[in-house]
Amino acid sequence: MGDEPESPERRTWLLGALSGAVGTTLAAIVYPIVSFLWPRESTESGAMNVVAPFKANQLPDSGGHWPPPFDFGGKPCLVIKTPGGEIRAFNAVCTHTDCTVQFQPDKGQFLCACHNGIYDLNGFNVSGPPPRPLETYKVDFRPTGTPGEEEIIVSRT
Amino acid sequence: MSPAPENGPAETAGWKQRLWAYLSDRVGLDAMLALGVKKRVPIHRTTVFYFLGGMALFLFIVQIVSGVLLSLYYKPSPDQAFESVQAIMSEVKFGWLIRSVHSWGANLVIGVLFLHLLTTYMMRAYRRPREFTWVTGLLLLALFMALGFSGYLLPWNQLSYAATNVGTKLVGVVPVVGEYLLKIARGGENVTGDTLSRFYALHVAIFPLLALALMGAHLYLVQKQGMSVPPRVAESHGGEDKVPSMSFVPDFLLRDAVGWYLALGILAALAALFPWELGEKADPFASTEIGTKPEWYFLFMFQLLKQLPGTIMDLEWLEGEMVGVLFFGAVGSIVLLVPFLDRGDRSRRALNFFAGVSVIFFIVMTAWGWFDELPLQIILGTSLLLAVLALADRFLQRGTPSRRALGVAAALTVLVLIAAIIRELTR
Repeated sequence: MGDEPESPERRTWLLGALSGAVGTTLAAIVYPIVSFLWPRESTESGAMNVVAPFKANQLPDSGGHWPPPFDFGGKPCLVIKTPGGEIRAFNAVCTHTDCTVQFQPDKGQFLCACHNGIYDLNGFNVSGPPPRPLETYKVDFRPTGTPGEEEIIVSRT
Repeated sequence: MSPAPENGPAETAGWKQRLWAYLSDRVGLDAMLALGVKKRVPIHRTTVFYFLGGMALFLFIVQIVSGVLLSLYYKPSPDQAFESVQAIMSEVKFGWLIRSVHSWGANLVIGVLFLHLLTTYMMRAYRRPREFTWVTGLLLLALFMALGFSGYLLPWNQLSYAATNVGTKLVGVVPVVGEYLLKIARGGENVTGDTLSRFYALHVAIFPLLALALMGAHLYLVQKQGMSVPPRVAESHGGEDKVPSMSFVPDFLLRDAVGWYLALGILAALAALFPWELGEKADPFASTEIGTKPEWYFLFMFQLLKQLPGTIMDLEWLEGEMVGVLFFGAVGSIVLLVPFLDRGDRSRRALNFFAGVSVIFFIVMTAWGWFDELPLQIILGTSLLLAVLALADRFLQRGTPSRRALGVAAALTVLVLIAAIIRELTR
């Protein structure tokens, strides 16, 4: 505390100690805040398969009322029947900007209304801006005893 | 800003200097710095109390940050509020810490503001031309108590439900307009989901905006008028200009930072060691539990209202509750008007008497409401009184009769405190 100047080493050491302490404090503040901001685990669904809310024979052959997408692990899932009678399941999230596509049975295609993206019945992106095909799911049937009323089980491939 | 000298050595015009020059040209940093350097903070026996305002400001910033974080997960509806706070406490990483920091921070900020108010009164810093600094400060204290009250309901637990019922009911006893005020405060006859939405809006939008505006005015006035020098200090140095002082930047600011660090340390320790409890979900039709009481800063009002009879002197129109509410309204108004009531020695003596009685009333009622057993009440009360006496001691000059009286009071208080401790230990 006298009039003599501090030695440079002492000054450097003090500055280092102060920066270290302040840095540690900042880390102890930032780390909990970043962890807090990270989504909690319960928001991520790990579901590997789901039973569709309708039976196989409830899908119309053409036109008529088509069941809307349903929840599969937090994403909308579309189950369709091709003109050939094959049942297919898709993740209805458009690969372009995450809108939900709609099935157009009369045109035999999926339309994304946001930017006019078109997918065919295999889920391939055939026109418009979508960069990739729709994600496809595996479809299985679980017999219920009555023919035609099988449950539709959609699972990730 | 003149351009940097071209013939200067390359090392001295490093990136820091160039960044500073760049920002100074565009944002006026040098003008701000000049203001801070020009501002002087007087040095005397009670300089330490100048830190309390900065500490409250720091804690307010902590409240904003932790509050914004909590709002990311909190859901203000009777069906989800309790569950969402529960999720914050158990599912979200460090959620318990953020919520505890917010709850403890609320208590600390009000505690610091009480001390700020008391020491500002003792320094008589409210004198001309600083009347409005005092008024805005007191409004800020009221606003922070309102923030505490509105935030208390948000977890939607039994305790918060009861506190909101009682608190809003008190608004209802104000003569003439009380009934309407009660309905506006609750958003209906009863405390319901609409009350929760109202309190949420008040707590996260309306009160914070008001607080920021008032704080802006308060800080502007402090900056404009400079730090007040207590009259006695100015006298003993022979004039305000002769009191030794330090510059705000960097001398006072660095000391301020130490105060902030201290506040942060206390807050972190409290939050980590004593995480805030959640209690049970509110059930509007359940009986209120025994021992339900408000936060400590409302305890003095709560305790008085508990003691008042239903009607005073058997006069049907003179309800105890109403008298209590009007009494606190009157006391609050006197505190608000202190700068205008201090008009010379006689009025100052009256004000000091009023302040002393108020502080003792606050201490007695708080200690009384806090504990149920008499020895514990006495231990808490005398400890608080000793703290206030120690505070007052800083403001009194040696050898004066008031200082001797303070010494006698302190000695008596210590004796009572020791007696109460012995009594409690031998029970």
